[in-house]
Amino acid sequence: MNESTPETGARRIAEDARERVRFEEEVLELADQVYRVARRLVPSREEAEDLVQETYARAFRSWRSYTSGTNLRAWLMRILTNLNIDRGRREQRAPTTQPLEEGDYFLYNRLEAETGGEDEQRIVQRLSQDGIVDALSAVPHDFRDVIVLVDIGDFSYQDAAQILDVPIGTVMSRLHRGRRILKQQLAEAAVAGEA
Amino acid sequence: MTLDPCEKCEEVLQPFLDRELSDAEYREAEAHLDECSYCRKRYRFEETLRMYVRQAFAEEMSPDLKAKLAALRTPLY
Repeated sequence: MNESTPETGARRIAEDARERVRFEEEVLELADQVYRVARRLVPSREEAEDLVQETYARAFRSWRSYTSGTNLRAWLMRILTNLNIDRGRREQRAPTTQPLEEGDYFLYNRLEAETGGEDEQRIVQRLSQDGIVDALSAVPHDFRDVIVLVDIGDFSYQDAAQILDVPIGTVMSRLHRGRRILKQQLAEAAVAGEA
Repeated sequence: MTLDPCEKCEEVLQPFLDRELSDAEYREAEAHLDECSYCRKRYRFEETLRMYVRQAFAEEMSPDLKAKLAALRTPLY
């Protein structure tokens, strides 16, 4: 039975407050990383800012459901992706109909043929950063979400699987296909002289 | 169907760079990369591309948003 005197009650409240403050500080330290991922999951800066605010409001409210010592970044991202899906913010795009026969060396081979044997660094620099942003936004969202989590958010396959609530094999196959679509977009833009 | 070493290397390019291969697979890929300049160039390209992609998306959040998030904290009193 739980014996509660005014003293133990006060101690518990103080301990609780300390824990909550610690939690909130840790969560706030992750804000830049959370924002960077949010910014690429939704189409505009304004929507990303709203989404991050909603995520933080919910995280602060439900701090007790976080198990101390587990991956806090992944916990936050799970809240964010769920809110994003709930609000129907994900852009709906028609799935790409282009055949994707090319392998993973495809973009390099294509750019190398264009440039005639420059080094890898220079070849990459032929792609503009704006071109990369455009290319990613052209990737259908199921594939893009995984690229954003793994390549921009630096999450492991396992974390990405938990965040998106899909099996790890699905993360791997979406990542594989998503990166190929991305590279195909980059190659097309480069050939058209836009990237 | 068995793949030739370069095809195999191309197959494991992504998990290699994601550090998601088993130790044995990693060593096998590394051994091939040590002796194959064709694959080595393509791996280096991919690695550079990833850094470049990351840079392209390194957008900072506004100080205003940061302040708004901090204001969402539970008041202490």
